[in-house]
Amino acid sequence: MKILVCVKQVPDMESRFKLNAAGSWYSEQDLAWRMNEYDEFAVEQALQLREQLGDGEVVVLSIGPDRVKEAMKKALAMGADRGVHIQDDASFDKDPLQIASMIAAYAADQGFDLIFTGMQSQDRGSAQVGVLLAGLLGLPAVTTIVAFAYADGAVTVRRELEGGQKAVVKLTTPALLTCQLGLNTPRYPTLPNIMKAKKKEILALTVADLLKAAAVTKTVATVFPEKKGGGLVLEGDVGDLADKLLAILKEKTTVFK
Amino acid sequence: MEYTREIYWNVGHGIGTLLPMYLLLLVALGLLVFGYWQRVKVYRLGKVLKRTDALPGRIVAALTQALSQAKVMRVAGAGTAHGLFFWGFFLLFIGTCLIVLQADFTDPLFGIQFLRGRFYLLFSLVLDLAGAVAIVMLLGLLVRRYLLRPDGLETRREDALIHALLLVILITGFVIEGARMAVTELGTDLAPWSPVGLLFAKALSGLGEAGLRALHSSLWWLHLLLALAFIALLPWTKLRHIFNVSANYLLADRGPKGNLTTLDLEAEGVESFGAAKLADLTWKDVFDSDACTLCMRCQDRCPAYATQKPLSPMKVINQLQEIAFGTPDAVLAETIGKDALWSCTTCRACQEICPAAIEHVPKFVDMRRNLVLMEGEFPGEEVMTAVNDTEVNGNPLGMAFAARGDWAEGLGVKTLAEDPEVDLLYFVGCYASFDQRNIKIAKSFIRLCQAAGLKVGILGKQEKCCGEPVRKLGNEYLYQTLAQENIELIQSYAVKRIVTSCPHCFHTLSKDYVDLGLSLPVEHYTVFLDRLLAAGDLQLGSETFSCTYHDSCYLGRYNDIYDAPRRLLAAAGGNIAEMDKSRSDSFCCGAGGGRILAEEKLGTRISESRAGMAAATGAPLLVSNCPFCLTMFEDGVKGAGFEDSLQPKDIAEILAERLPTRVGTGPDATVGQPNCKEVSA
Amino acid sequence: MKALLVAESRQGKLLGGSYETLAFARQQGAEAAMFLVGSNADLPQFDGRLYLADVAEAGEYNPEEHLRLLLDVVGRETPQMIVFCHSSYGWDLAPRLALALKAGQISEVVGSKDGGLLVPACNSKLRRVVAAVGATTVVTLQSGAFNPAGPPSGTPTVEKLAVQKASKVEFIGYEEAEKGGVDLGKAKVIVSAGRGIGKPENLALVEALAKALGGEYGASRPVVDAGWAEHNRQVGSTGQTVTPKLYIACGISGAVQHLAGMKKSEFIVAINTDRDAPISEVADVLLVADLKQFLPALTARLAG
Repeated sequence: MKILVCVKQVPDMESRFKLNAAGSWYSEQDLAWRMNEYDEFAVEQALQLREQLGDGEVVVLSIGPDRVKEAMKKALAMGADRGVHIQDDASFDKDPLQIASMIAAYAADQGFDLIFTGMQSQDRGSAQVGVLLAGLLGLPAVTTIVAFAYADGAVTVRRELEGGQKAVVKLTTPALLTCQLGLNTPRYPTLPNIMKAKKKEILALTVADLLKAAAVTKTVATVFPEKKGGGLVLEGDVGDLADKLLAILKEKTTVFK
Repeated sequence: MEYTREIYWNVGHGIGTLLPMYLLLLVALGLLVFGYWQRVKVYRLGKVLKRTDALPGRIVAALTQALSQAKVMRVAGAGTAHGLFFWGFFLLFIGTCLIVLQADFTDPLFGIQFLRGRFYLLFSLVLDLAGAVAIVMLLGLLVRRYLLRPDGLETRREDALIHALLLVILITGFVIEGARMAVTELGTDLAPWSPVGLLFAKALSGLGEAGLRALHSSLWWLHLLLALAFIALLPWTKLRHIFNVSANYLLADRGPKGNLTTLDLEAEGVESFGAAKLADLTWKDVFDSDACTLCMRCQDRCPAYATQKPLSPMKVINQLQEIAFGTPDAVLAETIGKDALWSCTTCRACQEICPAAIEHVPKFVDMRRNLVLMEGEFPGEEVMTAVNDTEVNGNPLGMAFAARGDWAEGLGVKTLAEDPEVDLLYFVGCYASFDQRNIKIAKSFIRLCQAAGLKVGILGKQEKCCGEPVRKLGNEYLYQTLAQENIELIQSYAVKRIVTSCPHCFHTLSKDYVDLGLSLPVEHYTVFLDRLLAAGDLQLGSETFSCTYHDSCYLGRYNDIYDAPRRLLAAAGGNIAEMDKSRSDSFCCGAGGGRILAEEKLGTRISESRAGMAAATGAPLLVSNCPFCLTMFEDGVKGAGFEDSLQPKDIAEILAERLPTRVGTGPDATVGQPNCKEVSA
Repeated sequence: MKALLVAESRQGKLLGGSYETLAFARQQGAEAAMFLVGSNADLPQFDGRLYLADVAEAGEYNPEEHLRLLLDVVGRETPQMIVFCHSSYGWDLAPRLALALKAGQISEVVGSKDGGLLVPACNSKLRRVVAAVGATTVVTLQSGAFNPAGPPSGTPTVEKLAVQKASKVEFIGYEEAEKGGVDLGKAKVIVSAGRGIGKPENLALVEALAKALGGEYGASRPVVDAGWAEHNRQVGSTGQTVTPKLYIACGISGAVQHLAGMKKSEFIVAINTDRDAPISEVADVLLVADLKQFLPALTARLAG
């Protein structure tokens, strides 16, 4: 069983974002980087599947500048077997179709039985790459899985729908799945695995070799959200604040009527 | 008359006595050595560890500790009794050795006799009193164990055997003496110098000489046999603690207090880290398990045990002994229980009080290291999240690293990156940087330094967690990564001295970081400010207030800093109503051992327990010196229902409130009254 | 401009988001036709053409079949824009359509700005202005971002679609969420706990305030995921969408998914130590305070 996991390195969402000079995305200054949270569940599920089968290969892929190798190393330290790094210093500038097409260009002849991705990235959040990749590779795809089971080529998953409802869906490999938070509990890398990860192969590929698709969307600008007018910001002693709030609620709502 | 006695009187000094006596002694010694050899083989199941360096110092320390019984006598009652019993028995042992020395060596070989004259008088008196004291203490301990039955004191069959053996040895000793004196000394002016023997002699005087002699010789041989049995039984019973505890004093860790081994994580060929099985522990760990006498002092002081967590430090040590001598292949964490292991706050109360010098804490950390480094396990998902946050943002609170220096805005403090010329580097720590309540400590400390005319620098967003909580949880890898980054950074700035407001940071930077290359003076702010105060560099207004003071584990037990904070509080006008458990007996707030990152799901809350102790003093303020303690007490005081009568505060806050305020600036500025907040009594 | 709106139904019921697509189309000044795999018994009320595939024949969501039907309709209508809700249906189906049409997809639209459509980024801390390259655009709308002006009205002209049953992805069935006692949808006042409460014990402060206000307590996803609150307390796109008179968000940063679930509340109060938290965008009042201090203070005043 050959499994591909696509991961993206994103900034930690607690960071205070500033805009880059061109106003096209966030500035990379003073950011802490980590693996996209959704992708952690994807990596974990791939590893659990390999453990269940007793054998198999888990390949982790990422696109971006050199720093994304740190996120890949985390996946390798969790237990992935090897990595594929598509070196691209301007990966943020590629739209989801371009990203998906680069991955497809690599994966097309690799014979992966299953591809796991996160359902979306925490920074751009377009939730497209996984489904586009499946389409380009001609694979069936299911998004937003919160449960996964595998037996003899048959995959049974639960999709998370609105309102806590889930849909149970079945498909056969080869296939692609996008993972939702809570699918599993991503493991903490053990020290021996962290050490082994340092020696695992990371194949370097270049954008030039793989990018054939033109962008179908473009980012005009990145801006800060407008503050909603009329929003009051209050600060001070908690007793005073409580009194003020009660006065506002009495005036502006019917809660106390 | 000549002040002496005939040794071997009535029993005979010939071959008929000496041969069986020394043969039996050889047998007893043989059994002793054999018994110990069997145990040494088990000790050697553990890993290598060097504890024989600086031998002369070790020997002196061991002799002093063993002979003074200082550790034993720290706890009154049973401790005093044991101490006195020990001296009594030890004196009798010395006395017996002197007798053998003279009778079988110095006298027959060289004609030297020293057991005579004034020395002999002293000798007789001392031994008699020693024996009497020993018997009384032993009876007291017997009553304690079998009649008073203190809660939780485990009594085994061997305890009865040992009590009986020792009592019979001691009592037969007096009966033998009495019988001899009844025949040879009654009515002489030598007799009163053996007052107890005299009593026995008078009681036995009714028997005729023949009867006395028969009694004497039969009991002499019985006494000999029992004494030799005592020697032979040593390794097979709790009595082994005589050697094991003395040896433990000799083999103690002479490194800085609270030392943990800094693992070489890159070591070639090392497949496993931490302790999964007995063989992963050191021989000293196994040896420790054999030194426990089940005195319960560690258990009595363990904050986890006191709040119904499944952890008893004594039980863990005993389980290690059972595993070592029974099932050495057992998986430690499973036998001891992971809940028990994770419950430890590394407060060190167990290790501090243990009269056998057992080293509890490093064993827990070693077992945790295995769980974390080899299995990726943590006591809860919230801990894994905090550890991941520490990796990503350099703090367990999940806050953006770039905001780490934001608390200092507007205080006139620059980062070293902006201005490296400073009098001291203030290593702020995660909680004082990011936690709203604890930021007040940081701000207070800055104000105090500035009032003393000092220029303080901080690392700001370059500072990372010192790594202490993750280290105590067992994540040695992450700790070393953080430490190395911090050390490289600090060294790049040519820092002269470091002051911290957190005892955990203080302990880690001043001791743990030394192993990784940092060698700079590091102080906790209480010691630092105490010096400034003493030198007159810091002026504080004094306004009387009542408080109780909590000695944190890492400032107190780990670093023996008890007085500097108290002096500061006194200078500020504080009247401290001490809790019963204070100084080295202080009761942990519950946050140590990395547990500040974990939820407390088992038993009752340690912080509420301590809040209760503070409330019991009647003081309105609970003063602490550690951001973890402050955080725990804010919750603990509320949880225990004392929020209307007890307020947690850090020393720095109290001191900063007492800084004289400046009215106006420039040469016309006047210094006003201290800016104290009134604290209701 | 012509827009094809993809409406949603589940188990024969039309989902409300369908009207949000209409509101968006109206805002964009587009002429709208609708596509629906749904039931005759529950059709969207609007004046326009509705391409309907009967769910009784097609079965519940099956990506290949829906794509095939949709492509057929696109071929017939030739819209410039195809609009979905950014829902578990929309984000699953839209990219497939976009790929087939070689069109750009703009996900989770919250508005428009000069030159493009506005979408959230980085947990709502940023916004991106995105434009499509090419004639056709696929768009998904953030839940609750576009609200119909009034109640639905009108009668669609229905065009029936023929269904084939192709499926590589087989729908087995639905699993309902565990029903607890509480229906947050009915509560007039909701006080919600976010990750900022710090520990599970502090949920009690939130509950106490909710009680004092005569309402219910809710929670954001991280709090439910951590096991501190039951799932039926979850407010957000994967929990419940609520519209109480008063919503008090305690220690909630305002992630998109949560906002989607509560931003239609009549009056929103946020308590957060971060004055820049995204929740401030929807909050009528933001109190910059430590909730551990503030909540008891407020509760105490209500009790008195």
